[in-house]
Amino acid sequence: MKQLRALTPEELARAEERLRNPAPGSRIEAAQKYGIDLTLLISHLRRTPAERAREMHDACRVVEKYRGAAAKQK
Amino acid sequence: MMNFEALVQALVDAGVEFVIIGGWSAILQGSAYTTEDLDICFARTSENLRRLARALASYHPRPAGMPKDLPFVWDEVTMRNGTVFTLDTDVGRIDLLAEVSGVGTFDDMKSTAVNTEAFERRVRVLDLKSLIKAKRAAGREKDLRILPELEALLEAQEP
Repeated sequence: MKQLRALTPEELARAEERLRNPAPGSRIEAAQKYGIDLTLLISHLRRTPAERAREMHDACRVVEKYRGAAAKQK
Repeated sequence: MMNFEALVQALVDAGVEFVIIGGWSAILQGSAYTTEDLDICFARTSENLRRLARALASYHPRPAGMPKDLPFVWDEVTMRNGTVFTLDTDVGRIDLLAEVSGVGTFDDMKSTAVNTEAFERRVRVLDLKSLIKAKRAAGREKDLRILPELEALLEAQEP
């Protein structure tokens, strides 16, 4: 089974270059035009899958906490 | 309180055969998408249904959006009688699917899914190409909205 792991320095450099300078007509350029923040993708690709999960998990819990606090104030 | 890590760990520790699909699959592969549930595709063998039912039981699963006092029995028989379950648990919402549009069943996913370390466990995750297929096949607005980002991630990581 294939492994999903952190990108190697070479893979990351290639991905960053593509995301910083989208080729005309590319899917990356289309995403940029659609409104996707490509710098955000770069920062996520710099992390390991476990770090991506941890960060999002923590963010979800913070959102839930504030949502709960806001609901109590109503 | 929401705790997807606890859900994933419970499933893995119980030996459940599953693939993480949906939003968490996107997140693990670099997406900035946010999600409020955990979606998994599970194997429909009797043993796996038994393990899945047991793994989630301590988190008191119940049909999402239904009153808490609605009678609901969570066991392998319930699981055998359905293929899609959207459940609220004590630690967050979980969607259990026996089959995913555009991709197929757990067995179909086994050859393309990727293995990774997340939530302090080894987990199987739907690969990016299959996730794109699934989102396109689902065709709902919320599925289509994430496609440009997934396509960009795929292109950025192509050899």
